[in-house]
This record gives sequence, C-alpha cells and structure tokens, in this order.
Amino acid sequence: MQSLIRGPRAIAIVAIVGLAAGACSPGASTGPEGSGSAASPGATAAESQPATIPQGGTLSIAYQSDLQHLDPAVMYDTVGIAAVRLMFESPLTYDNRTTQLVPLLLTEMPAISADGKAYTLKFRTGINFVKTDGSVLREMTADDFVYSLNRVLDPNLKPSPSPVASAFFGNIVGASDVIGGKAKTASGIKATDASTVEVDLVKADATFSNILASTFAAVVPKELATEDTAAFDAAPVGTGPYVLGSYTKGQQATFLANKHYWQPGQPYLDEIDFKVGVDDNAALQQVQAGTLDILGDQIPSGSFTQVTTDPQYADQIVRHSLVETQYMSMDASQPNGGPLSKLAVRQAIEGAIDKENILKIYHGAGVVADCILPPDMLGFDPTCKPYTFDQAAAKTALAAAGYPTGFKTTLYTDTTDPDPKVAAALQQDLATIGITVEVVTQSFDTFLNTIETPHEAPLVYVGWFEDYPDPSDFIDPILSCASAVKGGANASWYCNQAIDAQAAAARGEVDGAKRITEYQAIQKAIMADAPWVPLIHEDWVTLESKRVGGFVIHPVWLYSLRDVYIKPGT
Amino acid sequence: MPSDVRVGSVDQDFEVAVRGSRSRFRRALLRNPAFWLGAVGVVIVVSAAVFAPLITSHDPNFAFRKEGLSASGDPVGPSALFPLGTDELGRDYLSRLLYGARTSLTVGIGANLIATLIGVAVGSIAAFAGTPRLRFRFGSRVVRIPIPVENILMRITDAVLSFPVLLLAIALVAIVGPSLGLVILVIAAVLWTPIARVVYSRALVVREADFVLAARAVGVRPARILTKHVMPHLIPLIVVYATLGIASTVLFEATLSFLGVGVPVPAASWGGMIIEHIGYYLTDPRVVVLPGLAIMVTILSFNLLGDALADAFDPYHWQ
Repeated sequence: MQSLIRGPRAIAIVAIVGLAAGACSPGASTGPEGSGSAASPGATAAESQPATIPQGGTLSIAYQSDLQHLDPAVMYDTVGIAAVRLMFESPLTYDNRTTQLVPLLLTEMPAISADGKAYTLKFRTGINFVKTDGSVLREMTADDFVYSLNRVLDPNLKPSPSPVASAFFGNIVGASDVIGGKAKTASGIKATDASTVEVDLVKADATFSNILASTFAAVVPKELATEDTAAFDAAPVGTGPYVLGSYTKGQQATFLANKHYWQPGQPYLDEIDFKVGVDDNAALQQVQAGTLDILGDQIPSGSFTQVTTDPQYADQIVRHSLVETQYMSMDASQPNGGPLSKLAVRQAIEGAIDKENILKIYHGAGVVADCILPPDMLGFDPTCKPYTFDQAAAKTALAAAGYPTGFKTTLYTDTTDPDPKVAAALQQDLATIGITVEVVTQSFDTFLNTIETPHEAPLVYVGWFEDYPDPSDFIDPILSCASAVKGGANASWYCNQAIDAQAAAARGEVDGAKRITEYQAIQKAIMADAPWVPLIHEDWVTLESKRVGGFVIHPVWLYSLRDVYIKPGT
Repeated sequence: MPSDVRVGSVDQDFEVAVRGSRSRFRRALLRNPAFWLGAVGVVIVVSAAVFAPLITSHDPNFAFRKEGLSASGDPVGPSALFPLGTDELGRDYLSRLLYGARTSLTVGIGANLIATLIGVAVGSIAAFAGTPRLRFRFGSRVVRIPIPVENILMRITDAVLSFPVLLLAIALVAIVGPSLGLVILVIAAVLWTPIARVVYSRALVVREADFVLAARAVGVRPARILTKHVMPHLIPLIVVYATLGIASTVLFEATLSFLGVGVPVPAASWGGMIIEHIGYYLTDPRVVVLPGLAIMVTILSFNLLGDALADAFDPYHWQ
C-alpha cells in the first residue's frame, strides 16, 4: 500500500471510496454526480449554484507535477485522479460535495445479500464509450465491467500491475487466484445478463461499496484497454463527460467535451486544459491575474498570508479541511532494544511536541491533531486527547524511562515544502528533552522506499490521506500487523495482535453506532501504545479565478472538475 | 646596481627604474582602487565568518517561535532583537547570514585549495612529462614503450571540461548523499580543469626558456627543474586563478544548495536560504535579497581582488 502519504503541499497520494454508513450528510443529491446541495463541514466556498448551469467555455488548471497515468487501473495520484474522473466512470460515485454514495453507471445502489457477501449491480443501458476523436466506439455492457475488474487484478499489466489489486479487490471470490497468476478471471465476478453483474466477496465487508466508487473500478472497453497500460495511458477511452484531446508530456493535457455523453446537460465546459510542470508561485500569479482558472496545488507558503487576508481574493479562496492526519511515527518495535521500542520513551515524546507551533508553520491552515482519526471521519472523537504538551514533564518522564541524558536518533521526511520546516521544528522540540535528532530529507520516491523498509527510519514525519471515507482506512493500511512488512505503509512498525482482532471485528460490524464506538475504542488503545505523535489535520487552501463556478474541494476526490462551469459574462 | 633591475623606457623616471619588481608589484597593487574595494569586501566577509559568534548571540539554528514568527506564521522584519528580522522558521536572519559566510568560505577556500592543487599538479606535470619511454622487461628482452603522459593528462582534462559540470555534481551528491565534505570534494572534482589548462599553457612557454635549458644542461633533475626553476614563474598565475576561483566556488556552492543538493539543513547556506524563501520574493523580499546580496558582495570582492592581483603581476601595468 502506498496510498498516502505526503506531506501536504503537493500530495502525491490519493483517495477513493466512501462509506455505506453515511458519514456526512443524508443524501440530498439530485441525481448521479448531480448538484447535491449538502455542503460538507468545513466548506467555506460553498457558493449557491444557479438554477441552470451555464454551458461552454475553456477552463485551465495548473499543477507542479505531471500526470503519471490516465489509465484508471494504475492511476494513483492526486493530479491523475482529477483527469481520470473526467474520462472514466465507476458503478458508484460520491455526491459532489459529500461522502454520500450515489449510483453513477448503475440505475440504483447495489443490492447486497443478507450475509453481506453478494453485490448485485444493475447497469444503465445506452451508455457509450467515446473515442479520443469524439466518435462513438460502441455501447457499454455488463461484460465490460467484468473485464475491467479482472484487468485491475491482472498481474501481467505492463509495465506494472495495479497498486491496489490486492488491497481493494482481494476480497472478491477468486481474486487471489488472478493476482497470483493461477486464473485469468475471478469466479466471483459474473455478468448474469447484458446489464447485470454479481460480485461475490469472501468476507462481508461494509466498505466494498466504496471500492465500487473508486476510479480503479472504472469501466473500460475490452478491445482497447489491454495489458499494456502505457498504450491505454496514451489513448484512454471511457464513458465520461470529456475525452482526451491532446497530451504533451510535461506541458499540457487537453480534455474536450464528449458530445455523446449520456447525462443530459453535461458536460458543462467545451474544454479543460491541464497545464503541468508549472511553478506554484507562477501559477498563483496567473490565477490572480485571471489568466489561469484554478491553482492545482495549494497557495504557496510565501504568499499564503497575503493572499488569504486580502479582501480582493476573499471570494476566490477555496478552502476545505482534508480528511487526513499528519504525524510523526516512532519505530515501536525498534530492533536491539532501541530507545523507541520502550513504551515509556514514546509516551515521553508524546508530550514534547509543540503542535501549535507546527500548525503555525502551515499558517494556521488546519487543526491540531490529538488522536488518529481526523474530523469529518467516522469515529472521530474530540475527547480523545491522551497526552498534553509539557516539555518539562516530558524530560522528567524520559529520565524515568532510563534516558536522563537523552539519546541520538534520525528523523526522515520528504523534501516538499513545508515538510523540512516541520522536521526542523520537531528536531528543536526533541532537543529540549535531550534527544539529538539528525534530519534526513529525501525526494518523495526515495522517502517512500525508506519508510517501507523495516526499521530503516526511527522517526518519520509523514501524512495519511483517506483512500475512502471509512475509519478502517486509517487502521488497516498503516497501523496493523499486516502492514508492518517490507513495502507496507506502517512507518512505526507497530503491531498489536489484540488491536488487529478488534479492528477486524469493527470492519465487519454492520451496526453503524456500534461501529463508531468500536473505532473510538481502537484509536484510544493505539494511542496508549504511542506509535505516533499525531500533529495536525491540514486544510487544503487554493485559489480560483473570478470566472469559475461550482468548484469545491471534495473530501475524497479533492478536485472534482466535472462539476465546474464558467460563469457567464466573465 | 642589483642584477634584477629592468630598464624602462628612455624617458622613465630613474628612481622608478631602480625599484625591484617586488616593490613595483606592491605599488601597482596599492594604487589600484579595485584592490582596495576587493580587499575591504574580503575582509568584511572573512570577519563575518570568523567572528560570527561574537557579532551575534543567537544560535543560527534556533527557531524563536513566539518572537520570531508573526501570528500568521510568517517571518518578522528587523527589530532590536533581530537586527535583520527572522526567516520562515523564526530563526535570526543575521545569525543565518553570518554562519552562512562560514559555509560559503569553508567550501570556497577548501574546494578551491584542492582544485588548485590538482590543477597545478596536472598542468605542470603534463607540460614537463611529455612522452617518457618506460622500460619493461619481457623475459630477456627489454622494451621501451612510450607513455604519452602529456596527452593522457590533458585529454582527461578536456573530458572533465566537457562534462555538464552542474549535472555531474548533482549526480555525485545524489549518489553519495549531501554533506559539507562531499560538497567540497564534488566542487573540487569538477573545478580543477580551468587551472590545469592555464598552468599547462604557461608551463609550456617556460619549459622552452633558456634558463630551463641551462639547468637541464648542467644535469638538474626534471623534478627539481619543475619545482625550483619553473614553479616560481607560475606562482603569480596560480595566485590570480585561485583568488578568482574562490568566487566561482562560492557561487557553485550557492547553486548546489539552491537546487537542494548542497550543504544539508539546518546548516545555513546562502543559496539554501534563497531557495527556502523563494516564495516570499513578492511578499517579503528581504529574505531573498539579503542572502543574494551576501553572495554578490563575496563574489565581487574576490573577483576584484583577483583582477587587481593579475594587473599587479603584469609588468605592463606597473606604470
């Protein structure tokens, strides 16, 4: 699992899926990807939508990073997700402002059997695949969905298999055989007629509907989407409201309106231009000047205060709390009896970090984190505050734990602003209780490799952004024994069998209220073991031009451009 | 009359004519305003580096979270506590600049010293080694094989010169990991070539001089000819290039740090300070301009000094 993790300003991670048990608001959607009016908590730019959405115009958005993939089977980054959702559609999706699941390619929500293991999906008819030249390829069928899921499981995808094959889809009956190369298709995915698919799971799993909303479950045409994902990256064909017009690597990708789109009144725009490789300061100035519509990254640190306090831009700031937690992990099973393997040492460190100061480095964009689950996430518990900031007490506690003169250790983080600054702040805090920390900053890829190598990094500053709106996504991939392996994302190498058992039970729990209580108990129990120092939950703060309407930060998708339009007369 | 007196043009003042070359050199140097400008600049920068702990009482790496950052988390401007304000972490900017001078000069002088030693060795050996024949014994036969030392050394120099220097340095740092020592070695490894070329070409000229022929005729060994007879003629050249080289080395270090592969954080480096604050160039230009000015003053000073030395060593400038 590599979902995640990035420090905030240039998230390289991603998101997907939602939760059946409705985390946010009751479904107030007016249709698939419709103009649901329920604003999710934290949205400050929740402008009211006009009765009829204006049509036409060209929207431009600029990113520092390039698109990595356009093939939904392998795309797993925040720039790509905005692009892929323009061209591809999954059986389910989220309401355009909340984490409420709604049908997209389906006529209704999936029918789930009493034992929770069988999902029956009824697909809409009359939905066409549209080629990059704008012409219709053919009508989509249930067989295409069966093919698409098996393709994500396929270990022979070139140049590399899907990053989430096993994590997201491993629970489907027969999926492990496909992933292991023993079968071509999973027996648990069957088209029962031209528009119906049944998916059987090994174990009941309340989060599977979220998987069906992820971009990895997008339907692709069998004859074009082969094992060669690079070829499909270059000529992606789906059912979405836009088609790829042109793509020049490192410069620009252009998406054009799909004239044959199945939802009436959509798409809203004629064209969407992704400008990539653009410095964030340059992009900010272009948005301010009105020559660019949306800043794909956050407002850069140096201009943050000026832009966010200037009344001129007040109605152009788009801000939303992210469903993520930034934390410092501590190697809880440090080999050779290392100091961090001692619970008392980790608990002493919990009290040594000045989180308000770290929030200040983010210019106050966010809230201090005291526990694991972020606000806006099911199971968030404002009363979970197990440690208090007191460096004198922390120093005493460290001495009592057997380290009166402290010790030396190393903190790893990545080079993206502001992570090195946060690392310097952590370094200074730890120095006050006697711990001498060497800070190592690495490029994101190298950094991921470091923290996924057992016990390589004693301390890590990193963040986790939800894949899907369910608390299991904050426990299973990063704090379970199964994730404390080489290549896993458990940076603190934390493994507690009792917690694992509790988490497995909570994941399968069908009673929503009980489930919340269970996850609240789990996060308190984990915090008692102190594998992390939770630091902050960040806000995403960016800028749009005056012409842009309907743009919000989505809790799962981050940027959901298919709902964006250009205001008339601008 | 001393034997080294050189007679100037006919209308030259006799008093000047009897001065030794050393005093003429000194006189040319001291009369050159560029020398004074450069020298003052170098003294300032060196003093800043040497006396940093006396000039400021703040630790350059200590973040003053309350006094040093505004409520919104931005750097604060100059005040009594922070004469040049603070940086984005609330660290005293004057201290960062002073300790940054230490970084720059450590790298500038260290790397340049190594580069100069390599360059002088390669250039002078290439000029004097030529193509020696080495004796090899194969069984009972003795073979003398010519080894083109001159060509080998100078073609290696050409090869290193033709590398994209910055890319090479970045690759080396990326492989080994950044550290102050590595930055010095990397810069030395790529910046020795110009001085090798210059020393080589001057040594070629000197090697043909009559006094070298004379020394050789009386049986002085080649190594001794090089060190005792040729080297003194190369010294002015080396001094000038070493001085000018410090300027380019300081710039190179700033460039590497700007690109994030230079001196590792939290050590202060002027290039690193610029890139850390590049986002503030519109909202608080101070944090970008100050390290930029420090780099400019340092480079300009060493360049002026180097030029003044070059002029002073040149007899045509003595008048």
